Amino acid sequence: MSRPRLLLLLWLCTDILLFAGLFCVAYFIRVGFVLSTNFPFLPFLTTALLVAPAWLLVLLTTRTFALTRNQRTVRNAAYIAYAALVGTALFTLAFYFRFKTSFQGVSRLLLLEAFFLTAGGVWLWHLVFDVLRRMILRRSPPSFPTLIVGLTRESKALIAQLNQHLNPLTPVAILDGQGAKEAEVDGVPVLGKLDRLEDVLVHHRITHMIQCSNLEQSLNLLSACRRRGITYMLLPSVLGIVERDEQVESLEGHAVTVVGPEMRGKWFFR
Amino acid sequence: MYAFILAGGFATRLWPLTEKRAKPLLPLAGKPLIDHLLEQLPADLPVTVSINAAFERSFTQWKAQGNHSRAGILVEQTHKDTEKLGALGAVAQWITRDHITEDILLLTGDNYFGFPMAQFLTQYTPGTPLLAAHDIRDLRRAQGFGTVVPLPDGRHVAAFEEKPAQPNSSLVSTGMTILPAAHLPLVVEYAQSKPDNVGGIFEEFLRRSIAVEFRAFTEPWFDIGSFESYLEATRSLVGDHVLLGHKAACTETEAEGSVVLGNHSVIRHSVLRNVILFEHCTVENCVLTDCILDDHCTLKGIDLSRQMLREGTTLERK
Repeated sequence: MSRPRLLLLLWLCTDILLFAGLFCVAYFIRVGFVLSTNFPFLPFLTTALLVAPAWLLVLLTTRTFALTRNQRTVRNAAYIAYAALVGTALFTLAFYFRFKTSFQGVSRLLLLEAFFLTAGGVWLWHLVFDVLRRMILRRSPPSFPTLIVGLTRESKALIAQLNQHLNPLTPVAILDGQGAKEAEVDGVPVLGKLDRLEDVLVHHRITHMIQCSNLEQSLNLLSACRRRGITYMLLPSVLGIVERDEQVESLEGHAVTVVGPEMRGKWFFR
Repeated sequence: MYAFILAGGFATRLWPLTEKRAKPLLPLAGKPLIDHLLEQLPADLPVTVSINAAFERSFTQWKAQGNHSRAGILVEQTHKDTEKLGALGAVAQWITRDHITEDILLLTGDNYFGFPMAQFLTQYTPGTPLLAAHDIRDLRRAQGFGTVVPLPDGRHVAAFEEKPAQPNSSLVSTGMTILPAAHLPLVVEYAQSKPDNVGGIFEEFLRRSIAVEFRAFTEPWFDIGSFESYLEATRSLVGDHVLLGHKAACTETEAEGSVVLGNHSVIRHSVLRNVILFEHCTVENCVLTDCILDDHCTLKGIDLSRQMLREGTTLERK
């Protein structure tokens, strides 16, 4: 199994265990560190374990585990909190239907604690795991060798940021439509013009390509990516969108890049 | 006199059109660019075309087609852009290898010359290097060429500057020059240190007080090195017409500007503006503006502008 898949599997498993574990912590905080007979632990644990996959499914729909997702953002924390809220609600329902007689033990405070613990604990774990994941995926040979096409100020800034933050997408080569004077950018070699595309894709085992400048060869890049199963990305700056206020949305099934009017707190919904 | 055509470049900026063929073999207004050159050369002038090994096959095919038997092919054993000898290096190698002792008409194979070559040849003063110049009337654009600063007599060159940062003249060298036999040893010597600087040899002539003449022409001239210049050359030669190749067809289509269809290419129910289709392409229900499609491309229901498509590209709206 490849490194990224193994890491993802590990991440999902640890998340499930963490969710159930944090519910258990909430239980013991409320009940005390004893095994109560009035409010038995086993039904509580089995319900938490039963609900954990459903909670994980909710979290998956928020794309929290996506490769491009930075865990250290308020938006990501909000997604995790949202999933924790749904998880707590599911737990409440499941426990009620399974153990109606013991339900009195599930106090509002216990549920509140479970919510805060799962939201906070999972986010903290994600922050730690993100750091580990970046380090592991960047280890030589990198798991996601990335080709940068187009040497522009935007692409230079992007390369610097990817390297600085140890992003799993590791720039390994740069090609430019017109050729470039620089031999390297932030340690990434400039390998020439687009006639070297196929060579570079094969030799560097490219998994991701980021187009950073406007080219007459754009469609050929896209075709090459499709043919080789490479993920293609396009910087919005190619279209002149440089203010980082764009979003990709769906309009009747068509993907569209949207730049809307300024709105306070808009970042939260992106 | 011998004619020597430089066609050994890799044309990397025109990728993917030059993935399998050299720039001089790109079709321009219905025939390869190099054919425009050959047609202008006197019939009795021996011609050598210098190519690289990567494009040997495409030149062999070209030579087998049509009336190209007069052109000798000289293959430079380079397969990558980084290995090439350099244009002047290729000339020097040929001079040395074939013991050339006559004047050389040196032509760059990726240029289109609209002016009569016969007239240029008659204006040659034996023993004096001669170059054809074109006034592009734009000092900024001149930064990308070798510029000619003329003497007041309008015949001799006062200074030659290769890609100057601040050009003193918008008169640029066109890639058609005559190197006299007497100065070939100097060409070989200079090529050892500057193998990629064809224009530099004129700076060297002047530095050594060897007079250099030029002839300025006003007829169209194109240095086809980019997507834009290729389209511009096509627009200039074809005009606002549809040029159909052998067994090509254009039905129920609205065409504007220059539209060129290579052999066996078909367009139906489309809107086209400045489009070049190479051979065996099919375009249906498309809107294309400023596009160049290599052989065997198929587009259906697509709107595109400013794109060069690789051979065999298929795009269909689902």
